[in-house]
Amino acid sequence: MESDRINIGTQVKRGSAELAILSVLAEGPLHGYQIAKCIERRTQGLLRFNLASLYPLLYRMEKRGWVEGTWEGRPGGRRRRFYRLAPAGRRRLVPLRAEWAQFFQALNRLAGVTHA
Amino acid sequence: MPDWEEIAKRKLTPLELDAKRQEEIVIELANHLEDLYEDLHRQGKSEVEAAQFALSTVADWNELRCEVQLAANEEVIMNYRLGPAEKHRFRTLWLPGACTIALSGILLRLLQMPSAPSPHVFWPQHDMPFVFYWQWFVCLPLVGAIGAYWSRHGGGKHLERALAASSPAVAWMCFPGLILPFGLAFQWIVHHSVPLVPAALFLLGWVVLPEAALLLGALPFLRGDAAESRPTAASH
Repeated sequence: MESDRINIGTQVKRGSAELAILSVLAEGPLHGYQIAKCIERRTQGLLRFNLASLYPLLYRMEKRGWVEGTWEGRPGGRRRRFYRLAPAGRRRLVPLRAEWAQFFQALNRLAGVTHA
Repeated sequence: MPDWEEIAKRKLTPLELDAKRQEEIVIELANHLEDLYEDLHRQGKSEVEAAQFALSTVADWNELRCEVQLAANEEVIMNYRLGPAEKHRFRTLWLPGACTIALSGILLRLLQMPSAPSPHVFWPQHDMPFVFYWQWFVCLPLVGAIGAYWSRHGGGKHLERALAASSPAVAWMCFPGLILPFGLAFQWIVHHSVPLVPAALFLLGWVVLPEAALLLGALPFLRGDAAESRPTAASH
């Protein structure tokens, strides 16, 4: 089962990782661990981020202005850095979704031809 | 429970970042490890097992340190990508506009070659000739048509098509627009007169009439909707 899972983290998969992060943040602010858990839960464990794959990407996305991180904390509790989708990230999400939809359509067509 | 902040600090630092940013990154990653540890412990793993598993999620701390540092120091310009609005504007305005400017410039240069037909030369003042390339004006509608067609094909709106078509005239207007006031001021200082007639003829010959010719050619392509629209979100 472990081998069936896709561990996101390579440069090759960065595009899909960006789409995953932007998509979950489009629904509301989350801190890093929540982002990872949310993606894992929504994909039924198929896509998983770990600490090493998530944070470098989040920092890059923050540098590009796609997400905004702010520290929030409750009295007596831990301070956490919550990430929100920035306007540039919202704009980026639109073509990214379209590109990936086209990509999967193309793969489907290709698979259909291969199996014919 | 392990001191996750201490562990993260020991394994990640020193980072070549300012102290505040470094501390923030350490706290954030320590929070992640602690959340994971608590989740695993709640699911039934012992403290030791949960701690070992949490630490094992990072295969190579040195690599993570490099990745974090690179990401935190990444220059935005290196990873700048054109957004959809910029791509759209590039496709519908800048690219066809640059094409019409280049095309009109090449045509003008060809007409200035010795073998080309002679232009009309006017003398609004005895010492100031005004050269009128009528052949150029004949070609300009075609240039405008190409610019407007290209912009429409790329999904340009009416204003973008008109601007793309009339870019050469706009460029000419910007160029003398910067120089003309200084030239007129210079004439006033040296000759105590302002050559309004040549200036007006210059604007007429290089801006107003070319603009009209370019837009004339663009007219058929200013009507109707764009050939293709902006990309929209795909449904999942």
